[in-house]
Amino acid sequence: MLVIAGKEWNSYAASVAESVDMVERRIDALRAEIRRTVAARDTARTRALRAELRAAEHAWEQAVTDLAEELGAEPAAESPAPAGSLAPAGSLAQVGSLAPAGSLVPVREQVHHALTLLCVPAAPRLIAEVHAAFFGPSAPSLAANRLTHLRRDEKRSFETAPYARPYHLCAALTAAHLAPARGLIAVSTWPLERRVVGPLSPRVDFLTAAVRIARRAGTMPDGSAPVSKLLWRFATNIPGATGSPGTLDRHDTVDPQTVIRAAEAERAVHAEADRAQRKAAADRARRHLDDVQQLFGSTLRTLQGKTA
Amino acid sequence: MTSISMGTSRSTAERLAAIRGGVQPKRHNARTIAALTRNPGCARRAVLDTAGVDKQRLAAYVDFPARFGQSGFAIARGNAFEAQVLASGAAELVKLLRERLGLPIPEVAYDDLATVTGREKETPEVRYARSRALLLRAAAGEDDAGTLFDHPLLALEVAGQRVYLEPDLIAFQHAGRFHVVEIKSFAVLDGQADPGKVSAAAIQSAVYVLAMRQMLAEAGHDPEIVAHDVVLVCPRDFSNSPTAVLVDVRKQLAVLRRQLGRMTRVEAMLAALPANLSFDLAPDADGVPTRAPEALVDALHAIDARYAPDCMSVCELAYFCRAEARGCTAALGTAAREELGGIERVETVLGLARGELVPAEEQEEAAALLRNAARLRAEVLAAAG
Repeated sequence: MLVIAGKEWNSYAASVAESVDMVERRIDALRAEIRRTVAARDTARTRALRAELRAAEHAWEQAVTDLAEELGAEPAAESPAPAGSLAPAGSLAQVGSLAPAGSLVPVREQVHHALTLLCVPAAPRLIAEVHAAFFGPSAPSLAANRLTHLRRDEKRSFETAPYARPYHLCAALTAAHLAPARGLIAVSTWPLERRVVGPLSPRVDFLTAAVRIARRAGTMPDGSAPVSKLLWRFATNIPGATGSPGTLDRHDTVDPQTVIRAAEAERAVHAEADRAQRKAAADRARRHLDDVQQLFGSTLRTLQGKTA
Repeated sequence: MTSISMGTSRSTAERLAAIRGGVQPKRHNARTIAALTRNPGCARRAVLDTAGVDKQRLAAYVDFPARFGQSGFAIARGNAFEAQVLASGAAELVKLLRERLGLPIPEVAYDDLATVTGREKETPEVRYARSRALLLRAAAGEDDAGTLFDHPLLALEVAGQRVYLEPDLIAFQHAGRFHVVEIKSFAVLDGQADPGKVSAAAIQSAVYVLAMRQMLAEAGHDPEIVAHDVVLVCPRDFSNSPTAVLVDVRKQLAVLRRQLGRMTRVEAMLAALPANLSFDLAPDADGVPTRAPEALVDALHAIDARYAPDCMSVCELAYFCRAEARGCTAALGTAAREELGGIERVETVLGLARGELVPAEEQEEAAALLRNAARLRAEVLAAAG
């Protein structure tokens, strides 16, 4: 069924490296051949081979970037900016760039602060926004959407010394396959029911996050601009949360109490079904997965099962 | 609806493989399939695309490199906007669909089909299997079958090869109809958008609708439950907030069906071509091509092209064909070609205008027009000078 051959995954990194080797050989051979055609004054063939060389060099860049990503390393400085770094105006790339050295608080603690406030698994972008709004500028790596290696480091740390840290940043699990959900980060101390995401969970978690943010915003003395903007972004996507329609474009007119009421009202519609789905998946996870898998998802088990 | 691969016989497949040379066929995507609908009369494009020749590489090799392609900034902008619309269980999209399609409040289930096993790179086969299972379950109308399907993988047979396609999103409407949602980052200003970009998006969406309908039909469902209205989500005015419009793609669907059906009739085109035609670069052991560029140019000339200025934005070989079509009236665009009906060459046009050539019978009408135009131009120039 949906089982992947374990061999394939193990050899994946190897095959990437292998293809880089091949491209390098090709580049060398093309250069030598171009030198020969130039000497022979074969201009048509020179131009043709130069085009091939450019394509090969491009392929090499791509292969090296892929390799770096596979190994979880930071992308090379001269490689083109990753897609996430060109964030829309007003987003976190800029906030991050204001504090190039990052905050003094380590990234994992920044993530933990934001997640504790939100109380639901969240994507790096939202985590960075929440941190920037409530706790000050976030680290650049948080803003640039590059948290894959963070999750990998946390997993490694957990595997060497389980429960050695008070908390680990871990994956949210998909209810369907108990695999790590794409682009979501959770906290290991949360109950499994909160870390499993079913089809309704993204919406329920969105509404929960809205309530949490609105509550926190309500306790702030005089709503700061980033906070009210964040709250407004949530409010515009919840029916009845922005009050009268005429005030839609004003960030400062969102009333936290209205947002809480509207979000709670919609959450009540989905809550029951979502709770049941999450509970069933969490029970399954507890029965079938070991400690590491319960936190970081079950890809490993699937692969071993196939190789064995 | 029958599978498109049926028409390609074994010998044709071998012939196409020979034309392609010893490389993997170039994969199609929604963009390239959409591009097929432009300039359907071009045999060169039809043969090369059906054979899966890497036209970009070929064009560069014969020294007419294609200078188009999406810019890195456009891709980054598109991805950022899409991520924004789909963030938090597609919260922004849910709001738009509630407003536009009347999506009821309880319909918010969101399935991320890009993740199946949690590996960073899922194989297309696994993703397709999962997408198919979930979409068919939704089509069967089971309870809790889901509403929003993010990045499902669909498949379409194009010229005998299975092409995987990834729509941005398929929304499943409460009323039992699927809607394809296409997220694009060009702006809709005051209800207006660039017609070229909208039509390009419409054709791409039509590819998804077609793939989805085929999948449902093969599984014994009514293909018509995939709506021909696709939801196009774009930034509104000068803001980053999304807006949604419904685009009717019936016309594009008809064009696509005809176009894809035509690719199987490539046998007739192949019969007219030299038996030894090939675009093999004949790489040696180190991957250095040994084929002379001139030989490839000859091979390209062996297939008739129909160059139009439109080609520049959709075909990698456009620069080659433009250079080849230099001096042809067709290269000036459809408007000029229609005005100058029956006159092939630009030199003939100029000769007729100057009255140096005697027009043939079918050229009389155009020649009169041309002489008039030349006279007017001379008068204007004389007055100005």
